[in-house]
Amino acid sequence: MDLIDKNTLKHLADLARIKINEKDEENLLKSLRSILSYFEELKGVDTSNVEPVDGGVEANFMNVFREDESRKNSLTGNGVDSFPSSKNGFLEIPSIFENKE
Amino acid sequence: MIKLHELTIKNFHKKLLDKEFSALEIAENFFNYIKEKDKEIGAYLFLAEDEALKAAEKTDLAIAKNENISPISGVPLAIKDNILIKDYLATSSSKILENYRASYDATVIKKLKSKGAVFLGQTNMDEFAMGSSTETSAYQITHNPYDLSRVPGGSSGGSAAAVAAHEAVAALGSDTGGSIRQPAAFCGVVGLKPTYGAVSRFGLMAMASSLDQIGPITKTVEDSAILFKEIAGYDEFDATSAKVNYDNVDKPDFEKVKKLKVGIIKEYLSPDLDSNIAKGIEKAISEIKSLGLKIKEVSLPNVKYALSCYYIIMPAEVSSNLARFDGIRYSPVNNVDRRKLNLLDLYKTNRSLGFGPEVKRRIILGTFVLSSGYYDAYYNKAQKVRALIKEDYKKAFNDVDVILTPVSPTPPFKIGEKITDPISMYLSDIFTIPINLVGVPALSLPVNNWQDFSKLPIGFQLVGRHFHEYDILNLGQFYEKLKNE
Repeated sequence: MDLIDKNTLKHLADLARIKINEKDEENLLKSLRSILSYFEELKGVDTSNVEPVDGGVEANFMNVFREDESRKNSLTGNGVDSFPSSKNGFLEIPSIFENKE
Repeated sequence: MIKLHELTIKNFHKKLLDKEFSALEIAENFFNYIKEKDKEIGAYLFLAEDEALKAAEKTDLAIAKNENISPISGVPLAIKDNILIKDYLATSSSKILENYRASYDATVIKKLKSKGAVFLGQTNMDEFAMGSSTETSAYQITHNPYDLSRVPGGSSGGSAAAVAAHEAVAALGSDTGGSIRQPAAFCGVVGLKPTYGAVSRFGLMAMASSLDQIGPITKTVEDSAILFKEIAGYDEFDATSAKVNYDNVDKPDFEKVKKLKVGIIKEYLSPDLDSNIAKGIEKAISEIKSLGLKIKEVSLPNVKYALSCYYIIMPAEVSSNLARFDGIRYSPVNNVDRRKLNLLDLYKTNRSLGFGPEVKRRIILGTFVLSSGYYDAYYNKAQKVRALIKEDYKKAFNDVDVILTPVSPTPPFKIGEKITDPISMYLSDIFTIPINLVGVPALSLPVNNWQDFSKLPIGFQLVGRHFHEYDILNLGQFYEKLKNE
């Protein structure tokens, strides 16, 4: 059974905020199916008593604290300047709420 | 006549102090050479001539004033395009960042700038570091300097090709599953993937945060140690940054090398290995034996699952890290009229036009393995198998100090050969991926005099314990001295 069909792919693409055209759809489905079937080998691995790890180096697992000092914040500077479109130091985006009139 | 191809970080520094040339002269020479040579290589995306010449002049001024200069002062470097240099374009070879200029310096760049390094420009890469051939770049193809019909490896293919073609003295790359080491092997140069946490990633565009590291690509292991020392160190801006002392990492000691025990992985001794890669590994082993080191077979029973494990964990992290690229915050996407779209359609349009096929594939795959109903079967399972692989390495490192493996299962392949078949492309990282899953350091270096038995570069990999870069760099430096000039 295929884990991914056209509907699943469409749903995933929606979640990922990507549009997929019909031309790419077939290719993408084919490659995703072959990748997922490659993963089948993991099913046979006994992990019954294993805790999942997120990576990192155990010796280095520790809380990192810093002094709780006040830091200056501003709505100007390089970060804001690099916005493609901004107003009063805020990022400008299309309106989210639709005008009903 | 200045011979650019003879320059290493080490001898550049000496010649500079001996007044054989000025830093400015060298920088100018590099730009003249790059403008010709890079027409056939395609290593650079952007050159930063004005800024580089200014930086070189500073080094010359410091020397004129008899100030002490750092071993990397004036050294012309190439930087991978996913590492931020303030005010420079930084695209990660993606259309979604086509117009983006970095608003701050990455920590590694800040460190190098403060020591007087010269940045020649940014190098081509696979889009957002996703690929093993630099072919997924939205902008250009990079050619292997040893055979222009072949790939330079990837994703740091531009950086490795620049160093191999003598278009830079050294370079920085990033490595998530082999992206420094595999291109280094393909281009016959040296690449170091440091321990997870050894080098700050602040200012590196995140691909898979539990795997990414920045590291040097150089002509010699000696240079690798020098450049690594300059970029390593604790940084409060990277929460995974470690406090480790690397003061002696560039000071080789043969007494210490002789005591190292080297492991060979039983599971990798396969008859399927490309014959020249196998020859290279045999040669490296016998040369290391000749240095007086003991070789021992070790077993990593779960390492065969590393590829599956990686291609679940990495896309999961990719799908979340790349959510920030929406064509709104960093850089507008060309040919999208934002005034005509509502917010959701703007996101979708920007991301569909801005990302290439490999990036989209990984984002969707990552979204799938993290989605409800599949999380346990894929993501959680992969994180458990990752724990088993880590345990395998831990056990192996009880018996040996360094593990020797191939870097890539094949020599550089032809441009176009694997780009349409993702699995065959993914398989080219089979020996480098486990290292990132475990977080240990690994050095990719050329087999001495590979030209004697192969037309294309052949490399091998030395893997060390966490934060034991010293062991692999130390051994690598004595190994490279055995080369017949």
